[in-house]
Amino acid sequence: MSETIAGSRRGANVEFRQVGMALPRIDAPGKSHGKTRYAGDHVMPNMLHAKVLRSPLASARLRRIDVSKARELPGVACVLTREELSGRLAPTDIAGQTGRKRLATDQPILVNDRVRYQGEPMALVAAETVVIAERALELIEFDLEPLPGVYDPFDALKPGAPIVQGTDNVVAKYKVRKGDTEAGFAAADVIIENTYCTQFIEHAFLEPEVGLAWVDENEVINIRVSTQVIEHFRFIADAVGVPHNKVRILGSLVGGGFGGKEDVTVEIYLALLAKATNRPVRLCYTREDSFFGHGKRHPFTLTHRTGFTRQGKITAWKVDMTADAGGYVFLSPYVLLYATVAAPGPYRVDNLHVDARAVATNNMFTSAFRGFGAAQACIAHEQQMDEAAKTLGIDRLELRRRNFLRTGDLIATGVPIESAVWSDECMTRAWEALGERTPDDGPIKIGRGVAAYQQSYGRITWLHDTSEAWVGIEMDGTVVVRSGVTDIGAGQVSALAQIAAELLGVHLTDVAVYNSDSSTTPLAGTTTATRALYMTGNAVRLAAEAVRERLLRRAAQEFEVAHGKVDMADNRVFVADHPERSMALKDLVAVCASEGVHRSELVMFRAPFTGEIDPETGQGRVHPDYTYGAQAVEVAVDTGTGEVTVLKSVGAHDVGLAINPDAVAGQIEGGAAQGQGYALSEELRYEQGQLTSTSFSEYLIPTAMDVPEYKAIILESRSGVGPFGAKGIGEPALTPVAPAIANAVADAIGVRIFDLPITPEKVVNALQRLGN
Amino acid sequence: MYNFKYQRASSLDDASKAAAAAEDAEYMAGGMTLIPTMKQRLAQPSDLIDLGGIASLSGIRRDGDALAIGAMTRHAEVASSEEVKSAIPALAALAAHIGDPQVRNRGTLGGSIANADPAADYPAALVGLNATVKTDRREIAADEFFTGLFETALEEHEIITEVRFPIPEKAAYVKFPNPASRYAVVGVMVCQAKDGVRVAVTGAGPSVFRVDAMEKALATKLSPQAVEGIKVPEDGLNTDIHASAEYRAHLVTVMAKRAVAAAIG
Repeated sequence: MSETIAGSRRGANVEFRQVGMALPRIDAPGKSHGKTRYAGDHVMPNMLHAKVLRSPLASARLRRIDVSKARELPGVACVLTREELSGRLAPTDIAGQTGRKRLATDQPILVNDRVRYQGEPMALVAAETVVIAERALELIEFDLEPLPGVYDPFDALKPGAPIVQGTDNVVAKYKVRKGDTEAGFAAADVIIENTYCTQFIEHAFLEPEVGLAWVDENEVINIRVSTQVIEHFRFIADAVGVPHNKVRILGSLVGGGFGGKEDVTVEIYLALLAKATNRPVRLCYTREDSFFGHGKRHPFTLTHRTGFTRQGKITAWKVDMTADAGGYVFLSPYVLLYATVAAPGPYRVDNLHVDARAVATNNMFTSAFRGFGAAQACIAHEQQMDEAAKTLGIDRLELRRRNFLRTGDLIATGVPIESAVWSDECMTRAWEALGERTPDDGPIKIGRGVAAYQQSYGRITWLHDTSEAWVGIEMDGTVVVRSGVTDIGAGQVSALAQIAAELLGVHLTDVAVYNSDSSTTPLAGTTTATRALYMTGNAVRLAAEAVRERLLRRAAQEFEVAHGKVDMADNRVFVADHPERSMALKDLVAVCASEGVHRSELVMFRAPFTGEIDPETGQGRVHPDYTYGAQAVEVAVDTGTGEVTVLKSVGAHDVGLAINPDAVAGQIEGGAAQGQGYALSEELRYEQGQLTSTSFSEYLIPTAMDVPEYKAIILESRSGVGPFGAKGIGEPALTPVAPAIANAVADAIGVRIFDLPITPEKVVNALQRLGN
Repeated sequence: MYNFKYQRASSLDDASKAAAAAEDAEYMAGGMTLIPTMKQRLAQPSDLIDLGGIASLSGIRRDGDALAIGAMTRHAEVASSEEVKSAIPALAALAAHIGDPQVRNRGTLGGSIANADPAADYPAALVGLNATVKTDRREIAADEFFTGLFETALEEHEIITEVRFPIPEKAAYVKFPNPASRYAVVGVMVCQAKDGVRVAVTGAGPSVFRVDAMEKALATKLSPQAVEGIKVPEDGLNTDIHASAEYRAHLVTVMAKRAVAAAIG
């Protein structure tokens, strides 16, 4: 259920015909009829099946690995270990970035000497059947010598701690020094200090990692794979030792990503095995493989110290945060940067001091997850605001209102926010949408909470992000879009079609999109960082505008009117003031074709490029722009069992402009569910680096039985840097949910639980402490 | 899963013979625990003897002042049986909340109690309702049947045929389910019968147990307040990824109180 609030649509000088409509997405029929072929649905003749042998220990030295028995097993085609790979590394950085090159922190493709986390890959097998491949894994003999490990980032910082990465386990550091925090605290009437903790989180996408690779007649390694990033082809080529133009990634529609398919998953294994065997190889992770096979969301410990005047104005804010990076670096530095930028949330803080570090341990490595550090930051700053409101005796919403950023204010990194900041409007509308308060009922106590946020969309500006798209119009007036963009289920591709349809005067069903092929579709970058619509949407807009411009110029000649007097819609071209003077679009196209008018355009859209922020002050531009919004929830807490039930949950976000409001509402509803699991039930538990929640029996994601009917409120300021003023919504939809629920639970029971998830047991313990 | 030999028995005799002849046989009732366990390779029987073809093991009938339920009766049948709903509604309700619809349509009473999972619901019903387990060899009182963690009084290859539940005056079962499996983190069956009050707890300890102090208090007055102040000691209770012993002890009191309220409701 959703409603759209057209902020500036009414009275706007542009009238949209396709954009802004809740049209059925072009990927919907295939999915709903079961026709869509996901990466796992593809098979090839003579195909082998792969399996990965993983380390059972989290910190060890691989003394010996003997695969001779596995190789002798009939039906085994290939077994690879460190012997064959001679120390080859798998890059773990962001694909396509042209900013700073990082320290040598890449991971051996297969364990060479040291094991740094449980599940680190030690051998690859390709066999005629999955059963034979599994049997072969059991025949591999290995000796692992246990080494002292470190499983807590604070332990890892102590002198004498086992070193997992670098010289001191610190894989990244960021700081912000803005204004004068000492003076700010001196001017404060009240200082609030608290520590908030978050947990390891699993992406739990519906479709575990899967791919199929083959080497073709031109020696190109083709990999059809479920990924958010087809441009890993360069990393894969480097890892395997072939030129970049000899690896081709063919994406498929992805059954969920959430950042978990942002790093390379099965691609390098597939490339190595396909190359070694010269046969097609398929690797499909089981759910258990998937739990061990990709990086997790970082647990953070965040200590906040915030000064307020009695009137509720923030005078100073100091944040100290530590993230567990696990065994390898992967995207930890970037996640930490996002958390640093988002540390004070959507508030104006003139005196800000942030210290942040990501620390290596022998836990599972952590990397991208929807929200990317800003989610953890929000969990802390929004609970801190509620704690402050309680101490100050100021209404929680009012306290936020008194501190929200306004357009032109400087954010944490000292640059002004240029787009609209509709935090107040979003928060107020979300809160009002909760409606009448549900009454308490015996042991069932009702509580309400709200959370606001600031979440970037678009990549870090010194990574120099670009996106390409090609738009052309066919002889019959249908439209073709070609772009490498990957669709991970959020409607990325359909949004591009809707933009092209708008600009070329056709219907959504007249547009075909060819995407996600690293060799044949123009490279569009990643589907990560809430950037796909912003970047590729702009590329498609620019390309379609160029084609439109040429067609309309020619049409103006045809109608003998001035350029600018002609418009196009419903597959026709017409004089704007005299719509009866019109021609079919395909007739105009025929004229253009006969005269050699260029009916297509390839465009590269460039995000703003900047240098890095000042390392000492953290001041400078980091992102192209930010999305603002809020979540409001109502919960019921069973004070007997400690169980929390979410009764109402409303997300209100200023998305700039909703290209497809249904797709936006889908993001908001999905974020509400994922955030609910984050708040209440989900936790990957590692004991001495060993995962103890290894399946969905222990790792509890919300089910249909646990979720209320979510409500999505879409506000449109048309102030974003995306196409037609759009902002991003993919990550923002999740970010405020968990803290809103935490605040609602605290409201219900009168005591706060500072570490997520808020399990029934923690609620009971908190109530008992309160009772004592 | 490894290869194994599958046999479908047509009679009790057939099943016993097949089990005796095999190297390492397991009987399979609904297979709701056994099959996942084999998939995880925690069990590797040489032979699987399916009891699903023995018609005499299934069915629900009134037997004087008791209900007799065949060992191969599915949870869904118990949940929807008019006979059970009118005689012991608490038992029908318990069966209706085991696992999910798939489990309820495959899983059986006999399979559940033979497995004796510490978090299964049926053990609380058997002990709480003072049931009797009939096998192909003998009769065993519920109090004697469950002997420990996944352990029962059953001997090698002994087959449960039926469970006889005396019809109580009042009874109710309330559980705090695991959100994923719907197994009882703690489940409490409270039952008032002619011979007294019984309180049976599943999920909390290694095996189902009765709470003497609660039974005594409820014998005086069957009211939620009677058990409110009674806490079971946490020593010996289960601690796992889902709940600590301390929390389980707390839940025993909360669930008992709610079960009493439901029983008198």
